[in-house]
Amino acid sequence: MLYLFLNILGTTGKKFISFIANIGHFFIFFGSAIYWTFKPPWYLKKIFQQILDIGYFSLPVVGLTTFFSGMVLALQTYNGFTDFNSESTVARIVLTSITRELGPVLTGLMVAGRIGAKMAAEIATMRVTEQIDALGTLGTRPMQYLIAPKIIASLVCIPILVLIGNTIGILGGYIIAIYKLNFNPSLYLYATIEYLQLIDIIQGTVKAAIFGLIISMVSCYFGYNASKGAEGVGFATTSSVVISSVMILTSTYIITALFFG
Amino acid sequence: MEKRKNKKIIIKVSDLSKSFNDNIVLKNINFKLFEGESLAIIGASGSGKSVLLKNIIGILEPDKGSIQINDTEMVNLPRNLKEKILLDLGITFQHGALFDSLKNWENIIFKIANKKKMNNKQGKKLAFSIIKKLGLQPEILDLYPSEISGGMQKRVAIARAICGNPKILLFDEPTSGLDPVTGSLIDQLIKTAVRTVGGSAITITHDMASVFRIADKVMLIDNKTISWSGTPKDMFNSTNAKIQEFIKPINSEFLLND
Ligand SMILES: Nc1ncnc2c1ncn2[C@@H]1O[C@H](COP(=O)(O)OP(=O)(O)OP(=O)(O)O)[C@@H](O)[C@H]1O
Ligand SMILES: [Mg+2]
Repeated sequence: MLYLFLNILGTTGKKFISFIANIGHFFIFFGSAIYWTFKPPWYLKKIFQQILDIGYFSLPVVGLTTFFSGMVLALQTYNGFTDFNSESTVARIVLTSITRELGPVLTGLMVAGRIGAKMAAEIATMRVTEQIDALGTLGTRPMQYLIAPKIIASLVCIPILVLIGNTIGILGGYIIAIYKLNFNPSLYLYATIEYLQLIDIIQGTVKAAIFGLIISMVSCYFGYNASKGAEGVGFATTSSVVISSVMILTSTYIITALFFG
Repeated sequence: MEKRKNKKIIIKVSDLSKSFNDNIVLKNINFKLFEGESLAIIGASGSGKSVLLKNIIGILEPDKGSIQINDTEMVNLPRNLKEKILLDLGITFQHGALFDSLKNWENIIFKIANKKKMNNKQGKKLAFSIIKKLGLQPEILDLYPSEISGGMQKRVAIARAICGNPKILLFDEPTSGLDPVTGSLIDQLIKTAVRTVGGSAITITHDMASVFRIADKVMLIDNKTISWSGTPKDMFNSTNAKIQEFIKPINSEFLLND
């Protein structure tokens, strides 16, 4: 009995220590990645490729999800708040929910799934096939050549994607309000503009930038530290998507609490 | 031995040991590579040949021992200094390690293009000047590594290693998976690099024909350490059981008279 207890304690303790060690390992990676992100020279061609990949090619998924979310929001608000089914209530709830929360979070999650997985798989494959080792022997810093462009591009693209996603989401709400709920277009638009808050936009952009950092850092970390074999690539890919999604949902709470709490 | 006396030592490995957790791979490795020398490393699969090479180029850190390249101690050398020394090395990895997001010509000139800006035309021209020595056609330059055969990839990796004419060549099984004609082309290239350019080379190989073509000295890794070394011809007189196993399959008469 005692033996079993000690055994469990031992295993748990070992897991816990390796967990702490991993977190430490992650922060060392984080610090080094930040250093190389700000250190010239920058590989402009690589940064541009990443911006195209992360920003431009994510537009369809981000647009589609935020568009439907806007539509759902308008419909739900109308059905849920039948007492106040005025233009201003629906417009306001659609606007605030999207700019404060849904726009950034949905965009973040979509990009984490699409780009995070891709980044992790790409870097992990390079690790497993010794391409990262080769980079180091050919006069390049893998951190600077491989990781920094991804971080820079994520920091630039995700806030912009969120702004575009917000606009499309609000448009989705507008379309439902006008064509399904038969609201007055100018009243609805007027209410939307009236309730538009700069602080909401700022908060959404800050969130987006932090999500960009989370997605790129977590994905690059798991890719960079992938273990050998195809299994290593798979593990890096799933871990990066799961961990960055969880971190997005956790940090959105913290940021919201800091801004509005 | 005599003629080596005044020669410069290019790589000196002393007392190197390396293990992974409980798996001791290398124990007390000692050897020197002299200027103008071509050294072949042989050994059974899994004997630690690639691990030794990775220690030399700093991808793996030895548990103990010293590695000097051109008199500079590499172990624990700061990254930026290590990088400078690595630039003088031409390295191929056992599995190629070509960058699959770059075209073949971009792979080949990668190191040079990093130091010096080049337009596409100049880059391709430089890449072509190298691959034609390796029996490759210019058509492959604009393809990605995944679009060419394994043997072609091998040669692109060699082209990447020798681009810029490095003085020290470190090749991990450069001829494995190549047909004999192409294989001897690669051997020729290593030999030329060593004889006429005055470079030095370490080649890991399983191919005994290749050993006889390129090597001034042969080193056998067995039982975690260097258990035999000598000239290729010494191999025939050796009583070492492993060495005998290596030369058994080949027709000694034929090779000795070559
Ligand atoms: N990164 C690593 N982590 C743990 N063990 C490793 C690692 N690299 C190599 N090994 C172990 O070191 C030993 C020697 O491997 P190495 O690749 O050097 O063999 P090799 O002599 O090059 O064989 P081959 O001729 O098949 O290429 C093997 O037992 C291998 O499992
Ligand atoms: Mg090997």
